[in-house]
Amino acid sequence: MEHALSLHGVTKRFGSFTAVHDLSLDVPRGCIYGFLGQNGAGKTTTIRMVMSIFHPDSGSLSVLGHRDAQEVKDRLGYLPEEKGLYKKMKTGEIVAYFGKLKGMDRSTANARAKELLTRYGLGDWIDKKCEAMSKGMGQKVQVLGTIIHEPELVILDEPFSGLDPVNRDLMRDIILDMKRQGRTVIFSTHGMEQAEQLCDYVMMIHKSRLQFAGTLASVKKGKDLGIQLDYDGDGRALKDLPGLARVNDNGKHAEIFLRPDEDPQHALRWIVDRVTVRRFDYREPSLHEIFVRTVDEANQKLAAAGAER
Amino acid sequence: MANKTLLVAQREFVENVRTKTFWIGILIVPLLIGASIGATALLQKLKETQRYTVLDLGGGDLLARAEREFRSGDARALFALTAKMQNAPELASLRERVGATGEGAEPTGEQMVAVYEWMQKQDPEVLGRLADLQTSKRYAFVHTDELRVDAADVDGRIQQLNQRVSKGELFAYFVFGADPEASTADFRYVSNNLTDGDLRSAYENALTRIVQKERIAKAGIPPKIAEHIQQRVEFAKKQVDASGAIADVKSENVIDKWAPVGFVYFLWMAIFSIANLLLTNTIEEKGNRTIEVLLSSVSPGQLMKGKIWGIAATGLTIVGTWVAFGLLAAWLAPQLMGGGSGMLSALFTALRNTGYLLAFVFYFLAGYLLYAAVLVAIGSVCNTLKEAQNLMQPVMMLLMVPLLSMVFVAQEPNGLVAKAMSFFPLFTPFTMMNRAGGPPATWEYVATSALLLGTIWVTMKAAGKVFRVGVLMTGNPPKLREIFGWLREK
Repeated sequence: MEHALSLHGVTKRFGSFTAVHDLSLDVPRGCIYGFLGQNGAGKTTTIRMVMSIFHPDSGSLSVLGHRDAQEVKDRLGYLPEEKGLYKKMKTGEIVAYFGKLKGMDRSTANARAKELLTRYGLGDWIDKKCEAMSKGMGQKVQVLGTIIHEPELVILDEPFSGLDPVNRDLMRDIILDMKRQGRTVIFSTHGMEQAEQLCDYVMMIHKSRLQFAGTLASVKKGKDLGIQLDYDGDGRALKDLPGLARVNDNGKHAEIFLRPDEDPQHALRWIVDRVTVRRFDYREPSLHEIFVRTVDEANQKLAAAGAER
Repeated sequence: MANKTLLVAQREFVENVRTKTFWIGILIVPLLIGASIGATALLQKLKETQRYTVLDLGGGDLLARAEREFRSGDARALFALTAKMQNAPELASLRERVGATGEGAEPTGEQMVAVYEWMQKQDPEVLGRLADLQTSKRYAFVHTDELRVDAADVDGRIQQLNQRVSKGELFAYFVFGADPEASTADFRYVSNNLTDGDLRSAYENALTRIVQKERIAKAGIPPKIAEHIQQRVEFAKKQVDASGAIADVKSENVIDKWAPVGFVYFLWMAIFSIANLLLTNTIEEKGNRTIEVLLSSVSPGQLMKGKIWGIAATGLTIVGTWVAFGLLAAWLAPQLMGGGSGMLSALFTALRNTGYLLAFVFYFLAGYLLYAAVLVAIGSVCNTLKEAQNLMQPVMMLLMVPLLSMVFVAQEPNGLVAKAMSFFPLFTPFTMMNRAGGPPATWEYVATSALLLGTIWVTMKAAGKVFRVGVLMTGNPPKLREIFGWLREK
């Protein structure tokens, strides 16, 4: 089956700055795909090229089987990172307007806007102006405007940022619903936990270059296992653990990596003497760890390359 | 694809029509005109009565004659009223004194004196209700006795009067010399108000007439001859009409030639305020970040065109309403005013000039499109209104030119400057409207319109390129050099 989205050696420059360098990527249909990377890594530029807001300087891309995304614009849904609404428009009108811009006819768009707003708990807001809404509600309205025309491929740029836990769950449900309906969802995020829980595939860009891409399992495969520890007590003690390679200490939870050949059983015994252990897991590293490690390694490589020059 | 442009335009129109700005825009012109007419009248009414007195050193009846002459206009108005309002009880005693008069009759000298004397005895408020007595309303004569100016010698009295003036009790006082027939060099007018000289000049006119009459009598010149000698030379105003014959110049014709100036003024206001709406609107859309969502559904070109047409529709609605108001006034005014009152009805006749109206609508649309292209491009590269204002400055300076040259062009509608300005596309809409009274030759209409439309097309293309890149930019506005770079892209 053809991919929902394919990029082949795509490069985009702004003046002397290269925002995306030689990026190749396949997004299979019907999956949830996470775009990871630091701020300014090139995620948004990549997304904008997919939406044909920007055009690549070199390389090619194909969206839903078309070389030119313009042709399939009406089958795509896009929620930009900077989310805004017309303040003076009514909630129902604006959702319907986005639908009409995607080629829906007036009555269908109006009916569907009402249905969506009601379904996602904004029924009382249909006739109210957007300026009166809280940030979280505005964001929900935006997402509904993004999916009103039942797009085959939905791209959400930072959909979770600024949402409270209840709305986060709602956003997650919207994404999962779309997957269930056979749509493809791409979203970018800084929340590694969300990516880990939701995504079938992830990719990471760092400083305009692709670092890794694939299923969550394939990304984690081959990485050294680590200790996932939930504890109470003074976490500073963990830094003195014999045979320690790295520790990400969050105060109540820590992710601990040992040097090769060190036995996690010894470590557990040592730890139990120092803090109260509530949970101890020995398994593949978290996406968070992989992300941080990738950034470190890439920066070292770049520094080394810079020093050689 | 065009469908999406229409959707954007439609939304833009609906949103604008819902705003207060739109309704203010619609009402501002009729309100401004109404207010300026009303305010002038009101301000005249609100002017305080100016109290003055006269110190007559001659000791004769010059003061009485001067006052009578000064208020002769009011007396004439009252005299005419006795014929017009036969049954007014307030005028009964006056009619008794002047006798029966027919309408349009000229008062004799005796009748004038009678009216004047009657006038002095009436309550000024009652008089004011009867007739529009300009002089009596504004100027009140107060006798020196009433002011208790009682010093024995002239210098003492002058000092007392000076005190009244500096305390503000008196607006002004006049000093009549001892022998006006010989010389008026010692006549004086004392006031601390240096800006309002109406009273002085009106009094000067009245006294001039009296003194002249006296001198003529003294020299033994028959009054008929004196009048003949004093006659002013006046040219009768004529023009050559379409058939090549000589015709009288009517006030309508004059107003018709000046009317385009008014149209230019409204054209300027309409184009500028509506194109400005587009500018603020674009910046706002950029500011509230809706632009990126829109661009995922429509192309930048569609978005720009949609915005421009949506606001054009808003502008045309406003301008259309103005025109409708004007036509309504032109139709109503003659009926309300009985078709008589010359100036105003001529003004409304000019309003009904279809040629002017058509030109107005055409030049509004063309001028708007041209400036809209420039302003939407400026709006797309700016993030705040403040940044936009900097970029707007050169545009504003250019826009001032047709406004400042408005009267000049109307006076010389087919002069070299007017012709040259017509061929500068940024001025074409204003200058050609301005020249409509001329009127310019047909080939000029054709050539300037072609040039204007061509320029609009090129400017739109360029604006589209700037818009495409600029609208997604954040941070500082680009340098002019960068913008030229974008223009060169395909």
